[in-house]
Amino acid sequence: MGAISFQAVGKTYGGKAGVQALADVDLQIGEGEFVALLGPSGCGKSTLLNLLAGFEGLTDGAILFDGAGVARPGPDRAVVFQEASLLPWLTVWDNVTFGPKVQGLSRADYEPRAAEMLRLVGLESFRDALPAQLSGGMRQRVGIARALVMNPRALLMDEPFGALDAQTRLTMQQLLLDVWQRLKTTVLFVTHDIDEAILLADRVCVMSARPGRIARDIPIALRRPRSVDDVTSPEFIAYKAAIMADMRGHQAPH
Amino acid sequence: MPAAAGPLEAEPARVSSASESIGQVLAPVAQKLWKVAAGLALPIALVAIWQLSSKDGALFGGALPSPARVWDGWLMWAFGKPGLGLNPYSGTWWDNVAFSTIRVAKGFGLAIVIGVPLGVMIGWSRLVASTVDPTIQILRPVPITAWLPISLAIFGIRDFGAVFLILLGAFYPIVINSMHGARDVERNWIRAAQMMGASRWAILTRVVLPAALPSIFTGLRIGLGIGWTAVIVSEMVAVKSGLGYVLWDAYYVGRMEIVIADMVSIGAMGFISDRLIVLLDHWALRWRRLQSFSA
Repeated sequence: MGAISFQAVGKTYGGKAGVQALADVDLQIGEGEFVALLGPSGCGKSTLLNLLAGFEGLTDGAILFDGAGVARPGPDRAVVFQEASLLPWLTVWDNVTFGPKVQGLSRADYEPRAAEMLRLVGLESFRDALPAQLSGGMRQRVGIARALVMNPRALLMDEPFGALDAQTRLTMQQLLLDVWQRLKTTVLFVTHDIDEAILLADRVCVMSARPGRIARDIPIALRRPRSVDDVTSPEFIAYKAAIMADMRGHQAPH
Repeated sequence: MPAAAGPLEAEPARVSSASESIGQVLAPVAQKLWKVAAGLALPIALVAIWQLSSKDGALFGGALPSPARVWDGWLMWAFGKPGLGLNPYSGTWWDNVAFSTIRVAKGFGLAIVIGVPLGVMIGWSRLVASTVDPTIQILRPVPITAWLPISLAIFGIRDFGAVFLILLGAFYPIVINSMHGARDVERNWIRAAQMMGASRWAILTRVVLPAALPSIFTGLRIGLGIGWTAVIVSEMVAVKSGLGYVLWDAYYVGRMEIVIADMVSIGAMGFISDRLIVLLDHWALRWRRLQSFSA
């Protein structure tokens, strides 16, 4: 469960003659695979994620999720937003249980799982805190717990650690590695950070801009389970050198 | 470098220390007292000048009564024996304050019950916006005072005439601020709710409405102020009781000390009711004040 297929996907803003954000994107993501979309800002990587999430409609092509077309947002494709986007008037617990609650699930069904997810992200003692009382990293932990509690078939992460300081980002990357090692959910992870993409993903898809396309699809064969310390290993640095060379080659002319 | 995942990051942004010295506790109190004193200095000085410039109980011996006469007039109005032949106002202050307050409460309450849901719907649904909003925008420039004759014709000299004008006056700011609040909800809050499987109704009640609350409260405060204006205007014309009625009646019979005591009473009631809304606002939007602490 959780197979994603982008087929000749195109997205144009402002009518057919408008700005072409994506052109002819083909991408197959298998069940349980962790794929990073890597590229400069404005290359359409977040647009691609928004199309899969169902937040925006596509202009050309098709997106299949487990064989069915994507029409609207839903808890089968949980999204983790860049700024967490928690509901600021709800406590950590109420944010995490919001999904199951509005879906009409019974408390007995979702409460144990919500408690487990909070434990998984290390926030079990903060269930009554409001988002404003948390640091940026803690807020994003809630964002991840809120997504995982719905038992999604795919996790769509839109530069989730982009706004965090370097130290916190490492902690969060390790947390995500550990969580993914346990749950093995399909993940589509958007980032502009090369290290982050190599460290987390099974495949790094490098995108080029104007219009956004997938320029290169690089499998990352680093063994798992991984840790943030792997970024200094020779294999890691070899991947990084190759991708950097690649991204320079694909930079759009100015 | 933390190799294991765990809550290694900073503590919550706001942690108050248990060992605050007495000076630290008292400093804000003293600061607040000073602020209050600074704010009261000007009005006290103005009243003092007014009193000192008065002779024979009137400012420059003219039409405007001195503060002392106003005070005496109010004491009689509030605590005098009722029904004394030459003093029709004696002891009637409480009743008149109650009449006006109840009218404002009724009109304002109806304006909330109609205005908030309607405004949120206009802000949320393009269909409702395109069918209802133009009508509101066309009617809005008509001042509530211009509605007086129609209101009298329909409701007569009865309580609901006044309530109707208050409702109308408070309705516009409430509906418009609710509309803006619902329209400007952060897009990712709605997207987050959508991806969590929330229905349109759930998004409306659990995301749009709470997100619009700060703006709604702004509308309530403006609406309540207009409500007090409307009650005075309509009591002058449409009914025979309340602070507005007394204001006009006292003017006709030349009781200027009652007129001024009445004005002060209206101001005080407006102030108190506004404070109540602010208290409710602070209670309902606790999460918002926390936010500003931890920037």
